[in-house]
Amino acid sequence: MISVARIDHWATSGNGPFHRASALAKFLFLFLVVGSALTARSPYPLMAGYGLILVVAAASGLPWARLVPLSLYAVLFAVLYGISIQGGLLAYALLVFKAITPSLALLALVVSTPYPRIFSLISTVLPEILAAGLFMTYRTLFILLDMMDNFGVAIRLRGGFSPGSLAKNSSNIAKGIGMLLVRAVERAQRLYAVMAVRGYNGSMAQKGAEGMRREDWLPLATGLTVFMLAIMWT
Amino acid sequence: MTHMHIPDGILPVWLWLAGFVAMAVALGFSFYRLRGMDTKKMIPLLGALSAAMLVVMSLPILPGYHINLTVVTGILIGPSLGLIAAFITSVILAFMGHGGITVIGLNTLLLGSEAVLGHLLFSLLKRLPVFWRAAAATVVTLFITTMLLIGIVAVAHLDPDVLHHGEEHDHAVHSCGSVSTFAVVVLTIGAVGWIIEAAITGAVVRFISQVKPDLLGHGLHRSSKK
Repeated sequence: MISVARIDHWATSGNGPFHRASALAKFLFLFLVVGSALTARSPYPLMAGYGLILVVAAASGLPWARLVPLSLYAVLFAVLYGISIQGGLLAYALLVFKAITPSLALLALVVSTPYPRIFSLISTVLPEILAAGLFMTYRTLFILLDMMDNFGVAIRLRGGFSPGSLAKNSSNIAKGIGMLLVRAVERAQRLYAVMAVRGYNGSMAQKGAEGMRREDWLPLATGLTVFMLAIMWT
Repeated sequence: MTHMHIPDGILPVWLWLAGFVAMAVALGFSFYRLRGMDTKKMIPLLGALSAAMLVVMSLPILPGYHINLTVVTGILIGPSLGLIAAFITSVILAFMGHGGITVIGLNTLLLGSEAVLGHLLFSLLKRLPVFWRAAAATVVTLFITTMLLIGIVAVAHLDPDVLHHGEEHDHAVHSCGSVSTFAVVVLTIGAVGWIIEAAITGAVVRFISQVKPDLLGHGLHRSSKK
């Protein structure tokens, strides 16, 4: 979660073949990998798929070494769910790779596609309020993350965090969150006023899917390969 | 924290599809309730509060547990907008690898039910001081939604083919006892987490009532109709 700002930097700064592919092709790639997780009956095709996506990411200039630990984040929660099942080693391996293979595909999408292009595509299938809300949330997230960081620094400098004093720390954290909410609402009111002056008509994201491009073969071929592996390798 | 971090391919197809259908119905009902409001003004507010939820979710208060602010969001913007904020948050969480894409529907329902229940309970407990109103609403809401979460996991295991489609029988899943283990773990961590989350929610709402009390009366909704 906390890597949102870094993800945004990667999405806007790269120029590899994955970056140049259309958002539509990368969404199709993601759906094919999710489809492979849905259909896989053994962990092996998903392991192979994970490796393939990693090779493609490295070859495309994506920050693959950073993507691996981020994709493994999903394991924590898969393990929590894993408590509710009792199976052999293969069952847990399947559970883990069902978590991390789509997660890696998702990361490959978001680190290679600037968010206006993602929300532009999403807005073609969602009602206006949801698409615009998503766009505005993502845009506001970075500002609030900075505000929360500044609050953390300020409270440390003023001795607001005392090791062992749970009540005092909780009280200060609650005040920080309260201030964050109040400022978020005030910011939304100011932003609305500014946007209204500039002729805002309720539509935020640029609508419409991009056309297919020559570079689309890479995400499409990768997604298809992972999906075929999941279907054929049982 | 009652949304599911379950990855894709784990829950049975009928369950997550049902989650998407129920989510679409719930969102449709929210849109119907919001039809008289100025949607242009709601979008920046939705974005701000959904983003605040995401920021707070990035602060772990216990290992594997973070607070959500869904109850506070429900109190501040009401149940209909709260449900929409829950959808937005669930989509962005899924795009950050925080749970699968296929569980967006179920996660929206779980987070949305926290916003709806939190709002309703906060409205009902008018006699209590504001801190205890928010704290009590949070504990009851989180208990109910955690039970819903356990119910979803239990229902998922009714499908014997959920995880091990092609495995040998000697590796078969024995889920009946393990769902109860899951419930014990979730309720144990949850009970501690609910109390911390209730204390923080109560303090946040009390802070807002002291600094900007009009936010608790849905003043933004009323002014949006101007």
